[in-house]
Amino acid sequence: MKRYSIMTGTVTYAIKGRDLLRKNGYKANIERVSGEKALGCGYAILLDGEIEKAEELLRRNNVKILEITQL
Amino acid sequence: MIYFDNAATTGKKPKTVVDAVNFALNNLSANPGRSGHDLSIKTADEVYNVRAKTAEFFGAEGAENVIFTLNCTHSINCVLKGVVKMGDHVVVSNLEHNAVMRPLAKMKIPYTAVEVKDDVGETLDRFKRAIKPNTRLVLVSGASNVTGQILPIEEIGEICHKRGVVFCVDAAQIAGVLTINMKKMNIDFLCVAPHKGLYAPMGIGLLICRKNLENTIIEGGTGTDSLDYSQPRFLPERLESGTIGVPLIMGVGAGVDFVKKTGVEKIYRHELMLCQKLYDVISSDKDIILYTKRPEFGFYAPVLPFNFKGCESYHFAKMLNSHNFAVRAGFHCAPTAHKVMKTLNSGAVRVSFGAFNTEAEIKSLISLLKDKNFKEKLKKSIE
Repeated sequence: MKRYSIMTGTVTYAIKGRDLLRKNGYKANIERVSGEKALGCGYAILLDGEIEKAEELLRRNNVKILEITQL
Repeated sequence: MIYFDNAATTGKKPKTVVDAVNFALNNLSANPGRSGHDLSIKTADEVYNVRAKTAEFFGAEGAENVIFTLNCTHSINCVLKGVVKMGDHVVVSNLEHNAVMRPLAKMKIPYTAVEVKDDVGETLDRFKRAIKPNTRLVLVSGASNVTGQILPIEEIGEICHKRGVVFCVDAAQIAGVLTINMKKMNIDFLCVAPHKGLYAPMGIGLLICRKNLENTIIEGGTGTDSLDYSQPRFLPERLESGTIGVPLIMGVGAGVDFVKKTGVEKIYRHELMLCQKLYDVISSDKDIILYTKRPEFGFYAPVLPFNFKGCESYHFAKMLNSHNFAVRAGFHCAPTAHKVMKTLNSGAVRVSFGAFNTEAEIKSLISLLKDKNFKEKLKKSIE
């Protein structure tokens, strides 16, 4: 199974996204990250699964995504 | 002490609120949104849950739209200074609190204070006429903290929506007492004092947004984008610089649960029934001056201003205090409303109700107000 890091920037959007993904059957967690897109500090959702539908689900529910990286 | 000062802050908090605050102090002492360790994430989860349930309670779009501020006044300042620019015009009512009037005075922004009439249609016509081409914001109290008059916020929201004007409601006196649905009522910004009708601790406010704010009044650390000197764009972090008050937030969550479980309308009907009982007795008392009509359902929040003839309000309140009744005297930070009531010289005593007040308590106050010895003592003290 592929693993992705979905950078949301804020902890609020990370939790919102994680809960949304879990409710829809995805395996998701959040972690504190540091990176260029987060401009120093931020939060990302760790997703185990297919990214396309997950991303669509998050964007449809107004979760702000800064960057998606395959791990 | 029998507490009738619930419009200032609800005097009794539910045990569940106290327990939630204690739980946070004992179990959630980690900074949410700052670290990655399990306790920080757990705390952030708990904070998020409060945002989500608060958003749902007020008909806001999502958890991210709920901002924790210092108090309702802070929320109002965020909106006024975040929305209004030089050249704009603002519409308020003639019953607004100093939380609105003082920032407006400092900002030197031209505004129109619309007179609230007993006739809702007339009030709405006045709001329609007050909106100018450069009106950027309409900001009104949901209900006056002095007279208790309820403003027709759903109808004002509709007017604002049609005219493309930002609409903000100061819900200090109505949150938890009247049903509020931001989406249905076209409210763009809702400012809440959760320590009042939501039975949360003092020291925290809510700003619920359906839009982002162009300008911020406080900037600083948010735990995100730390290498960028600019304030983050996204809510809620954009408006939450510095560490948030987790124990207080947990109190807000428990308060929302309490009000939902008890029922907003049930609380309102109970408080208004007590208010009416008091009104009905003292309205026939020649020594008492009342300033409002009988507080009817849907037209008045459960607060009642009155005075004892010839007696300065502070003295009257002091006498009531000596008989173990807690009421508020003076001008209630709302000279606007006192101007309407023509009490700018004396102020007024305000009795305000909470969910925990009982019929026995109001009977006790009525009994004192009718007591000949008390009246004689009061009259003698002002001679």
